[in-house]
Amino acid sequence: MAHREPSLFTRLIVLISLVLMAGAAALTTAAWYYAREAANDAYDRLLVGAAYQMAEALNVQGGTLTVELPVSAFELLANSERDRIFYKIVEPGGRTLTGYADLVTPENDAPAMGSPDVRDGRFKGVDVRVTKVGRSFSDPSVQGRVDVVVAQTTEARTALARELTLRAVALIIVMSALALGGAVFAIRYALRPIGRVGAVLRDRDPHDVTLITVSTPRELRPFVSAANAFIARLKNRMDLMQQFIADAAHQIRTPLTALKAQLQLLSRQPMDPQALQYLTRVQERVDQLSHLAGQLLSHAMVNHRAGAVPLEPVDVAEVVRRAIREAVPETLDRDVLISLELPPVPVTIAGDAISLKEAVKNVIDNAVRHGAPSQLTLRVCQKLHTVDIEVKDDGPGIPPELWSQVTERFSAHSPGGSGLGLSIAANVLAACSGSLSFRHEDGNGFVVIMSLPNETGPKA
Amino acid sequence: MNGQEIRLCHPMLLCLCLVWAAIQPLASFAQDSQISTFPALQAEQEVLSIHAATDRPAMEPLIRDFQTLNPNTRVEFVEYVTNDLFAAASKACQDGRALGDVLLSSGVDQLVKLTNDGCAHSVNLPETETVPRWANWRDEVFGFTFEPVVFVYNRAKVPVEDVPTTHLEIADLLRLKPETYQGRVGTYDIRQSGIGYLLAFNDSQQTTTTYGRLLESLGRAQAVVRCCTGEILDEIEAGRLLIGYNMLASYAYARIRAGANLGLVVPADYTLVLSRGAMIPAAASNATAGARFISYLLSNRGQTLAQREAFFFGFAGEAPAGLEGAASIVRTGIARPIAISPALLAVQDDERRRRFIADWSRSLVDMAKR
Repeated sequence: MAHREPSLFTRLIVLISLVLMAGAAALTTAAWYYAREAANDAYDRLLVGAAYQMAEALNVQGGTLTVELPVSAFELLANSERDRIFYKIVEPGGRTLTGYADLVTPENDAPAMGSPDVRDGRFKGVDVRVTKVGRSFSDPSVQGRVDVVVAQTTEARTALARELTLRAVALIIVMSALALGGAVFAIRYALRPIGRVGAVLRDRDPHDVTLITVSTPRELRPFVSAANAFIARLKNRMDLMQQFIADAAHQIRTPLTALKAQLQLLSRQPMDPQALQYLTRVQERVDQLSHLAGQLLSHAMVNHRAGAVPLEPVDVAEVVRRAIREAVPETLDRDVLISLELPPVPVTIAGDAISLKEAVKNVIDNAVRHGAPSQLTLRVCQKLHTVDIEVKDDGPGIPPELWSQVTERFSAHSPGGSGLGLSIAANVLAACSGSLSFRHEDGNGFVVIMSLPNETGPKA
Repeated sequence: MNGQEIRLCHPMLLCLCLVWAAIQPLASFAQDSQISTFPALQAEQEVLSIHAATDRPAMEPLIRDFQTLNPNTRVEFVEYVTNDLFAAASKACQDGRALGDVLLSSGVDQLVKLTNDGCAHSVNLPETETVPRWANWRDEVFGFTFEPVVFVYNRAKVPVEDVPTTHLEIADLLRLKPETYQGRVGTYDIRQSGIGYLLAFNDSQQTTTTYGRLLESLGRAQAVVRCCTGEILDEIEAGRLLIGYNMLASYAYARIRAGANLGLVVPADYTLVLSRGAMIPAAASNATAGARFISYLLSNRGQTLAQREAFFFGFAGEAPAGLEGAASIVRTGIARPIAISPALLAVQDDERRRRFIADWSRSLVDMAKR
C-alpha cells in the first residue's frame, strides 16, 4: 500500500491556514506601515505647529534679529511626553541665532505655499523627525530668510504606531480565528454527503442490487454514477446467472419427468428383489433430484422477483392455504395431521404473493420432510408490528446451535435435503423486510416463525 | 556682596563689576566646588559621587540614612552653585565623561536641558513610579522635593500690617512705603543664580502685569540681589534686610526651626513650587549606586526623612506648622509646580535668557543705579 493520503479535511485546513497566515502577515505589515504613517502625521502636525510658533516669535529689535521662544511651542511638543526636542534658528547670513548649532538644516525647500516638509533624520545618535519653517524679513537691517529648524525624537510616534499596530493585529487574529473556525465548520458541512453516500453503501444488503438513489451534491455525482454503473453491471450478471439456473433447472426437469415415467413403467415389470431394491433407490434419487430442480427454480424465481416486482396487498391466509395445498404431497408415507389457525379477521400485508407462497411452501416442505412425525400446525397471528406465520411440527426440530447456519444455501446440516428450503424462505422474508426465526416449544414441538412487517398496522 | 556693590556703584565701576560677574563663574569652577566625604559605615566596596547644587546640611541626613541602608558605600558630595554645576555637567557630557554618579540641582531647567541633550541615564525602579507625573521626565530627571517659593521677613522689624500675602501686595508695599523698604528687600541675582532665573521666569509666566509691577517696584525700592538664598537669609536674620522675595521655603523654615526670628509667607495668589531635580549622568561610572540613591530619595523612607529633617514639605502639599498665608496650597489650587518637562527648554534657550536677563537687569539693576 502506498503512503497514507492526507484527508480532504486536513488538506483544506492546511491550505486555508497557510492562506490565512500569509494574509495575516501581509495585513500586519500593511497595518504597521499605515500606523507609522498615521503616527507620523499626527505628531508632525505638532512639530510644524511648534516651528510656526517659533517663527512667529522672531522679530527685529533695534536693528538686530531676536527671538523670544514661546513656552507654548515647547508645551505643544511636550504632548509626546518622552520625546526630546532640538531646534535652531538660523539667521539669513547662516549664523545660528539660538539653539543647537550642529543640528543639520534639511536641504530642500518646501513649496512656498504648501505646508513644510517633515522628514526623518538623525541627531545626537537618535532618530528624529525634522522640519524647517522659513520666515522672510525685509527689514533694512535684516534681509532674507530666517530658518527655524525643529526636530523631535520619535519615541511617541513609535509607541503610537506600535499601539495602533497591536490593535490591528488583535483584530487580524480575531478575524483569522473566525475564518479558520468558519472554514472548519464549512468543510465538515461540505464533506458530510461523502459520509452519507458511504453509509448508504455500507448499510446495503449484500443481495441488494438496486441503484443508489441518495441525493448528493453535484461534485459527488460522478462517484455515485460510477457506483450505480457498477451495480447495474453486477445486477445484469446476477440476472443472467439466475436466468441460467432457472433455465438449467427447467431443462433438467423435463428429462427428469420422462425418466420418472420410465421408472414407473419399469417398476411394473417383474424383476428379482435385488433389482427392485436398486430400482426403488434410483426412484428415490430421481425424486430428490426432481425436488432439487424444483427448489432451484423456486430459488431463482424468488431471487428474481425480489426487488423487481412491486409490493401489493396480500391476504396472508389465502397465501398460507395455497401453500399447504401445493406443498403437502398427495402421497405421503405416513399420516400427518395438518391444522391451520387463522385470526378472525382477514390479515393483509404489503408483499409479493408468489414469493411469499414459495417461502411458506418451502417451510412446510421442510417440516414434512424432516420433522413432523404426525402433526403440523400452521398459525397466522397478528402482532403489534408484525404478522407472524408460524409453522409448528412435533418433530425434534433443529438444535439451536445450528439456527444461524440452516438458512445458508446447501448447508451441510440437512441430511437428505437440498438445503435450499429455509434459505429460500429467508431470502423472501429479507426481501420484504421480514425475518425468519425459530423456537422450541415446551413439551415437543418446533416452530419456524416467519415475521412480516405489518405496514398498515392492526386494523381498528 | 556682589549686589551691594552694584547698588552703590558708579557706572564705570558697574561695568567692571559686570565683567567680574561674568568671569566669576569660570573662575569658581575649581574653588567653589567643595568636596565632603562620608566614609562607608562598613568595609568600603563602592563610591557614590554626588554632584549637587543643594546645601550639604540639607542633604546630610539623607546621605547618612542612605548609608545605613548601603553601609559599604562611601559617598562623596561635591557642592556647586546651580550654574556652575550645569556648566561642568554639560562640558563633561560633551566630552563623553561623567560628572559623578548623581546630579542634584534646584535648577531643574538645566537638568532638563542636560537630559534633552542625551546626557542622562534612565532609572526604572518601582520607587520612581510614585513620583507625580509633573516631577518626572523620561524616567531620567526626577523631582524629589516639594518646595514652595515664599516671602520671608524679619519678624522683629516688619510690623504685622506690612506683611504681604500676595505678589501684588509686596509690589504695593514697596511702592507705598519706600522710606522703610528702600534697599531692604532682597532677592536672587538671576544673572548668577540658575534657580533665581527659573523662578523669575515662572513669575513672568504667571501674570505678566503683576510681574511687571513687581519688577518695577523692586527696581524702585533698590532691591538687593544675591547669588544665593543663604546670603539673603543671613541678612534678613541680621536685620539688614527686611523682606526676602522668592525664597525657597525649605531653607527659610530650617532657619526658623533653628531659632531665627523669621516669618514665612506662602503667597495666597499663587505659589510657585520647585521640585529639586535628580539625575544620573549618561556615562556615570557607578550608575547602579546612583539609581539606588535616587530611588532612596523617592522612597517613602527617604521622603519621610526629607520632610522631617531637610525639606519639610511633601508632594501632597503637607506643610509644617508655623507658616503664614495660604494653607494647603495643593488642595486650594494655588500651587504652581514647575513641571519637569521639555517646556523648560524654553527657559534654557540662550537667546530668550539673554533677553530676559537683560530686561530684568534693566528694570532692577539699572533702576537701582538711578
